[in-house]
Amino acid sequence: MIACKPAPAVGIGYRSAIGDWTRANLAHFDVLEITVDHCISSGETIASGIFDLVGRIPMTAHGIGLSIGTDVPLDLAYLDKVAAIVDRLRAPGYSEHLAFTRAPGRDLANLLPLPKTEEVAEAIIAKVRIVQSRVPVPFLLENISYLFEWPDSDLTDAEFLNFICRETGAGLLLDVENLYLNAHNHGFDPHGFLSDLPAGIVKEVHVAGGITVQKDFLARPFLADSHSHPVPDGALDLLDHVLTRHAPETVVLERDDRLQEFDEILDDVRRIRSRIAAVQSESLHARAFVGAAD
Amino acid sequence: MPGHLLERQISLLEYLTSAGAIFGGAPPARHLQGLDPALLRLEACFSHEKRMEKIVGSFARTFEIMGGEDRADIVRDFVEACPSVDIRRIENARQFYDFACARWQKNPPQPPYLRDVATCELAMADLRTKGKGQPSQPAAAGRGVRFRRSRDAVFLPCAYDIRPIFEGSVSEAIERRDLMLAILIPPRSNEPAIFEVPAPVYAFLVELDTWTGGAALGGVPELDALISELAEHGLIEVS
Repeated sequence: MIACKPAPAVGIGYRSAIGDWTRANLAHFDVLEITVDHCISSGETIASGIFDLVGRIPMTAHGIGLSIGTDVPLDLAYLDKVAAIVDRLRAPGYSEHLAFTRAPGRDLANLLPLPKTEEVAEAIIAKVRIVQSRVPVPFLLENISYLFEWPDSDLTDAEFLNFICRETGAGLLLDVENLYLNAHNHGFDPHGFLSDLPAGIVKEVHVAGGITVQKDFLARPFLADSHSHPVPDGALDLLDHVLTRHAPETVVLERDDRLQEFDEILDDVRRIRSRIAAVQSESLHARAFVGAAD
Repeated sequence: MPGHLLERQISLLEYLTSAGAIFGGAPPARHLQGLDPALLRLEACFSHEKRMEKIVGSFARTFEIMGGEDRADIVRDFVEACPSVDIRRIENARQFYDFACARWQKNPPQPPYLRDVATCELAMADLRTKGKGQPSQPAAAGRGVRFRRSRDAVFLPCAYDIRPIFEGSVSEAIERRDLMLAILIPPRSNEPAIFEVPAPVYAFLVELDTWTGGAALGGVPELDALISELAEHGLIEVS
């Protein structure tokens, strides 16, 4: 008997701006990723549009408002709201970014990197434990795309993530587009990053497509995580690599701009499914070959 | 975390939300030494663009009517005076509206009806955030029926009849006229609508602050028709 990893569920991040279209096209998706902050602060109409989907399609819970990296105590009231929403969505897990977005008196509403040091990792570990005690489903951390690095960072991206996940048992929501952009923008080998992750740590995957930015004050073009265009083949190649070593439960396409390009969205979903099928088929053949040789 | 990390995070966010970082020209503060200024500026630009998308999305007509030069000036002055303090679209819209109104108090806007347009757009953005219109309610002022002014309707005294702007006729001359507008999401609709409320009707609605029975209003024969019409437009709630 040849065992095969189950195929991950494939879906999109739910966006209320195309909520009607999403509801009419649920058959294309196995799962929807819900941004819990949209249920908390975007108003009753948007929240009820999301909760109406409970029971019609499985949903995962994703956050953008925790700012776990801000060097202040976590907002426990916010976490309690998250827990209530996760429960209402019947979501099997809750994910957030390993980043900070705000500091007292300012909210950038944009994900910023942390200094990658053991000291900062220890502080994050303590906060992850609080999240885990407050939101009773598995917690996942997501790698972000970043434009700048703190000069005192002395751990690699993978070392920083691995340390926190190992100590807390948190899983990794691996955003392969963020990895693709960071590798391009900062000149490292994304496959090296992937090889440094322990097998099985990746529980969910994000994919998206961005743009190239050229400004007169930049020495060279930068790739930006705009969630606005088709997923680049380079990011899907990284997805292939992930699927050979990990068994993510979901692969979610994130799209936040040019949302009316429905054909692009559905085409990206098809491309993701095709990559998954190809990796699974290859894996099956390899196992069959090994089995035959035995 | 390192004791000084919070200071660095505050310094970073103060810098990234500053006009100096967004529009260029100001070097990062001492706490941010070692960070690439060009990449910080790119980060500042991205965040600013996202914030302005939220604001312009809420004030589409206001920005469309404003001249290009005025638009650039007000955005730059807004960034300098009001750094981003909240992720939410409606809070950023309110922050911009308060800033614009204070500015227009000192220097009246051009065209002069811009403030009324912005006020209506903020009310519409607020309604969109709060939620959908009530279902249509059959209404009559008969025995046992009670009604009150809708809690979701926003009443705005305006100096100009700006409704043509929201009906797609930007080129139509805007009439200088004091009037009361009501903005609400009508029954069976998802989008806010604007109605003119004649002065006597507005006075009637002001009286309906609490649940009131038809009998308390003196049993006026025309009341049935008026109540039906107001309920049809969502201006009153009926129980």
